[in-house]
Amino acid sequence: MSTAALQSSRPQGTGPGPSFLRVLNSEFIKFRTLLSTLVLVGSTVLVMVGFAALNAWGIGQFSEASRNDPQAGAAFAAQGADLTAGIPTSGIAFAQLIIGSLAVLLMSSEFTTGMARSTFSAVPKRTPAFVAKLLVVTACAFVVTVASSLLAYAAASPILDHYGFDIDLGSDHSRRLLLVSGVYVAAVAAIGMSLGTLLRNSAGGIMSLVGLFFVVPIAFQLIPGEFFAEARKYLPDSLFERIVTAAPAEGALEVWQAWTWLGVWVAVPVAAAMIILKKRDV
Amino acid sequence: MIEATGLTKVYGDKTAVDGVSFTVQAGRVTGFLGPNGAGKSTTMRMIMGLDRPTSGSVTVNGVPFAQHAAPLREVGSLLDAKAVHTGRTAYNHLLAMAATHSIPRKRVQEVIEMTGLAEVAKKKVKGFSLGMGQRLGIAAALLGDPQTIILDEPVNGLDPEGVVWVRNLVKYLASEGRTVFLSSHLMSEMAMTADHLIVIGRGRIIADAPIGEIITGKGQSRARVRTDQPEQLMRLLADDGVSVEVQDHELLQVTGLPPRDIARTALDNRIMVYELTPLQASLEEAYMELTKDEVEYHSLITTGAAAPTQTGGQQ
Repeated sequence: MSTAALQSSRPQGTGPGPSFLRVLNSEFIKFRTLLSTLVLVGSTVLVMVGFAALNAWGIGQFSEASRNDPQAGAAFAAQGADLTAGIPTSGIAFAQLIIGSLAVLLMSSEFTTGMARSTFSAVPKRTPAFVAKLLVVTACAFVVTVASSLLAYAAASPILDHYGFDIDLGSDHSRRLLLVSGVYVAAVAAIGMSLGTLLRNSAGGIMSLVGLFFVVPIAFQLIPGEFFAEARKYLPDSLFERIVTAAPAEGALEVWQAWTWLGVWVAVPVAAAMIILKKRDV
Repeated sequence: MIEATGLTKVYGDKTAVDGVSFTVQAGRVTGFLGPNGAGKSTTMRMIMGLDRPTSGSVTVNGVPFAQHAAPLREVGSLLDAKAVHTGRTAYNHLLAMAATHSIPRKRVQEVIEMTGLAEVAKKKVKGFSLGMGQRLGIAAALLGDPQTIILDEPVNGLDPEGVVWVRNLVKYLASEGRTVFLSSHLMSEMAMTADHLIVIGRGRIIADAPIGEIITGKGQSRARVRTDQPEQLMRLLADDGVSVEVQDHELLQVTGLPPRDIARTALDNRIMVYELTPLQASLEEAYMELTKDEVEYHSLITTGAAAPTQTGGQQ
């Protein structure tokens, strides 16, 4: 039998290809079948719940101490519900770093393990795989943040109750805190995943993320001068603070400006990562 | 069918693949043979669209790999035994790959059994031996039941049983009319497996021919002759382009003359010949001959010999 006859007897490459939903499903399988994902998500929940409980206890202790001091007591009462509303999301500074690191790892490990060769052989156009992973990572960040905040609320409520406080989860402020925190951590995750894509290196990606969210804000605060004070306002964590605060300081950005800048912080690294991923050799 | 045209890859000032053109036909096993660093893996990565050619192009069944509607169903590849996240189990790795093309779980199970991974499928790849990693890579390559299979050094790290299994597998796949492209730096392996050879050295194609032709094509015909009148026969055979070497008492090695002509000369002159054995160059010899100028990393002995001369010159 000739080769040509053999060849034609077998249809070539028939069957479904990598549609976006299939790639999304694949990325979700990859996400949930790694122990490191579960460990880091679990850590986030623990940190959020732990900080909320600690914070609730601290506020209770402080209110008891200030009972003998009428001035402090008055100041305390004036803050009212806003004080307790921040408790469920009080661990967010650490949660953002854990989730952000997870996002870095999910992409950098593709390259450090060689998995990228498998991933981009199955999805050679590359961009759908990146977008699918981005979607999985940011959705996870949002859900984990909101869910762990609710758990944190459940843990903190009995403690606050003991001191005669409560959290009104239905208040505008509480609801905004909850949702904006979720969106913010999702944004951090998107930045983290882009860093992982650009640097292709786990340690480097995580260090850059920590630098951006921990070192730079502190450095900008410590360095004297008008410029750094002004620049500090445009850092992602400051933008988040601005969006959730009810009483902005003088000279603060408008809320819509803060949202826009946060969008820029996400859009620039994501776009850069997508372009570089498409162009660079795997 | 894989078709490369003027395929070139330059890394900095180093040309890994230098204007390579070749065709890999369906229905036979094509071996891609060359010393380490010759450009085999780079060429294969370019076929898979993972590395972008500096110039030139390569297509699979007439279309660049990335343009296929269902890439995994078109081409299966093993480019690196460790193209897997080691924290995942073999089963989950294959499941995630399969999900991109809606390949059913049944097929995942099938390739696991086919590659002998059933016992370790639910274990993390971290603990896999090199051989197990290779089997997983081959399982992933077969997942989409592709028409074209590209395997980079598939027998690396496999035990003897695994080597035989890969050999039979690729021959079977080719017999089904598929395109099989297989790289190796082991000539003996190629001699056992491939029907056609593409030999590469320092990024250039040195030979592209059926394996038999490569073995016999290079070098002249040689034969071993035993006779009780060696001196007489030597004198009769001596001619332009023919060299006769006395190897032992009554044993000659004749180069440059086909066995038939040797026999004819002996018969015409009534010289008794009691052994006439055509000698075939081994693939090793043919390969050494082909690549002697193209080896990227010369062995230490060469550099060791060169070093003292330099030192001597300085003194």
